[in-house]
Amino acid sequence: MIERQLTLIMENKPGALARVVGLFHQRGYNIDSLHVDPIEDLAPYKFIEDELDIKLASREVSRLIIKTTVGDSLMRQILRQINKLIEVIAVSDDESTYLKGILRDENLL
Amino acid sequence: MKLAGNDMLIQSLINEGVEYIFGYPGGAALHIYDSIFKQKEMQHILVRHEQGATHAADGYARATGKPGVVMVTSGPGATNAITGIATAFMDSIPMVVISGQVQSHLIGTDAFQETDMIGISRPIVKHSFTVDHQKNIPQIVKEAFHIATSGRQGPVVIDIPKDITNPDDLFDYEYPAKANIRSYNPPIEPDSSQVKRVVDAIINSKRPVIYAGGGTISSNASDELRELNRYINVPVTNTLMGLGVYPATDERFLGMLGMHGTYQANMAMHNADLILAIGARFDDRITNTPEKFAPKAKIVHFDVDHSSVSKIIEADIAVFGQVKNSLQSINLQVKERLDEIDKDRFDEWHEQIAEWKKLHGLNHHMYKEESDNNPILPQAVVQHIYQASHGKAFVTSDVGQHQMFAAQYYHFDEPRKWINSGGLGTMGFGLPSAMGVKLAYPHEEVVCITGEGSIQMCIQELSTCSQYKLPIKIFNINNLALGMVKQWQDMNYEGRHSSISYEDSLPDFKSLAESYGHVGIKITKNSQLKSGIEKAFAIKDKLVFVDIYVDPNEHVYPMLVAPNGSLKDMWLSKGSKT
Repeated sequence: MIERQLTLIMENKPGALARVVGLFHQRGYNIDSLHVDPIEDLAPYKFIEDELDIKLASREVSRLIIKTTVGDSLMRQILRQINKLIEVIAVSDDESTYLKGILRDENLL
Repeated sequence: MKLAGNDMLIQSLINEGVEYIFGYPGGAALHIYDSIFKQKEMQHILVRHEQGATHAADGYARATGKPGVVMVTSGPGATNAITGIATAFMDSIPMVVISGQVQSHLIGTDAFQETDMIGISRPIVKHSFTVDHQKNIPQIVKEAFHIATSGRQGPVVIDIPKDITNPDDLFDYEYPAKANIRSYNPPIEPDSSQVKRVVDAIINSKRPVIYAGGGTISSNASDELRELNRYINVPVTNTLMGLGVYPATDERFLGMLGMHGTYQANMAMHNADLILAIGARFDDRITNTPEKFAPKAKIVHFDVDHSSVSKIIEADIAVFGQVKNSLQSINLQVKERLDEIDKDRFDEWHEQIAEWKKLHGLNHHMYKEESDNNPILPQAVVQHIYQASHGKAFVTSDVGQHQMFAAQYYHFDEPRKWINSGGLGTMGFGLPSAMGVKLAYPHEEVVCITGEGSIQMCIQELSTCSQYKLPIKIFNINNLALGMVKQWQDMNYEGRHSSISYEDSLPDFKSLAESYGHVGIKITKNSQLKSGIEKAFAIKDKLVFVDIYVDPNEHVYPMLVAPNGSLKDMWLSKGSKT
C-alpha cells in the first residue's frame, strides 16, 4: 500500500465527480484528499487536444486531484476504470497517463 | 419542426429505429405515455412489473443485437427496474432505460414518488443522463444509443423530469445524424503488431485452446471465430455467456468450461500452453483459484475493454479492439502464413483431448433408464427438449440447477440462441426475456427452461404473454426446492437444508397457467415425459406451461472443487472427485 496522487481531466458537468468517487468507495478505499477546479488556462493540456483531435474551451473541463492509499495492481485497475468513465478525458498517476484509448508511459498531467 | 419534450423523446426513439418499448406508465411519465398513444411506429408492451420490462428488453437485445428500450415512471417504477439494469450491465447488453422523474423544482424535496434514479443506478450503468432542457433531448437520446451499442455494450439511463416533457412548451426539433462524444472513443481496429505476435504464438504452440465468451457474440464475431478455426483447427471451449458462438456439434468443441464445465474443457484449459481468450473476462466461475489457473499457459486476451485485460489473469499478449475486427485481422495474417503451421503439430493434443472427452462427467445415456420406477432426471428433460425442438429453438433460462442442465445438455450451434443471466445470476429472468425474444422472432420457437423457484419471481408476466399472445413454451423443472442452494448445502453444510423448501405451498402450475388462458401440462412420470414435451411443441398458437416433477436429489456435475482448487479439480458425480 502506497500513498498516491491521481490527476484527472474531465468534463465540467454535474454528476461526473460522483462517478469517479464512487469507484473508490465501491472497493472500500478511502480518499485522503480531493481537489477539483475548472481549468481556465488550457495551454499545459494542449497535448490532449493534439492526441485526441478535439478542442477544449476554458472552464469546459475540470482538473481533479485525488490522494489515496492503494496497492499496485488495484491502482492500475482503478485507473483503467476511471479512464472508462464517459466524462473522463485523461487520468494519470505517478507512472502512467491514460488518454481515451491511449496509454502513455510518461506522466503528462 | 417544433415539438414538445414528450413528443421529442418519442420522435427520437422512432428516429433510432426502435420497434418495441417495454414499460409501465405512472405519474411522472404521463406526458410521455400520451406521446406513445399518438404514434403508430413503435409498439409499447405493457408488462406487469418493471423488472419484467427490463428483462424483456434485455432478451430482445440479446436475441437481435439491437438495443432494448425500457420506459418506467419515477420512484418505485425506477427502483423496480434496477435488477434488470444490473443484469444487463453484468452481461454487457445494450439497453436504454428512460425513467420519468418528478418536476425539476421538486427534485430533492422528498416529493411523491421521487427517488434519485441517477444516484441509485450509477454503479450499474455504462452511463446516465439527466435531461435539463427540452432542446437537449435529441442529442441525449442519440448519445445514449451510441454509448449503449458501441465499445463494451451496456445499459444507459435517461432520467427526465416531468416538466421537461410538458406538452405545451414547443422547441425546435432536429435529430442529430451522429453522436459526437469527445471523451468517448472505444477501440475498434487492433494494433497489427500485437496481431502478429498472436499469430507467432499460435504457430509456436503445441497445446492451444480457444476460450470464447459473450464478447464474441456481442461483437457478432461468430463467423470470424469459425473461420479462424478452419485455419488452425484447435479445441474450442465457450463460457456460459458464449454458448453458440462456436457450434456445439463440431468435433473440436469441448463444451462449456468453468464451475459446471465439462471434464475435457477444464482439463484442456489447465494443461494448455496457449489460451486464446476471446471476448471473455476470466470470471471467478471460470478460473477457480486464479493463482492455480492454467499454470503452463501463455495468455492472449482479445477485448474491447481495457479494464478487463489483466484484471484477474495477467495477459501475455493483449489485443484491444472490437473482437470482430481483431479476428478479421488475425484471419488475414493466419491465411498468409498457413504454410508455417505444421498440420500434425496438434495431433498429440487432439489425442489427449479425445481421451478426456470419454470421461466428460455428463450423462448422455439416461434415456435407457426411463422407467416409471425411477424419478424423472432433470438432465433428461433438457435432452428431450433439445430433440423435440431439433436444437433450433431460442432457449431462455433462469438461474440455478436447471440453468446449468440447459447449458450442458442443449447443444447450441448458433449465437444469440442461448439467453441467460450469466454475470448477475438473476432469478426471474427467464420468462420476461422469452417475451422479448418472441416479439423479435414471432415465427421462431422460443423456449424458457426454468425452475419452480425462479419462475415465481416474475410469474406475473404470464398475464403479459396472454395479452400480447406470445406462444412461448415454458418447461418448469420442478424439484420442489431451491435446487442449487440445496446442492451446496448437501456438499458443504452436511445436508442442513436451510430455507430451501416451500413445504406444501407451491401452486398447481397447470391450473395457474390455465387461469391466464394458457395451456398447462403436468408431467410426473418418465412414461409421460417424451410425449408430454412433444405435445407442448405441437401446440403452435398458445403458450404452454409444462410442469415437470423431477428427482429432487439430483446434483449438477461436473463441479469445480472450491475453495483453493484449480481447473483440474472437479467433482464428476456424487462422492467421485478427480
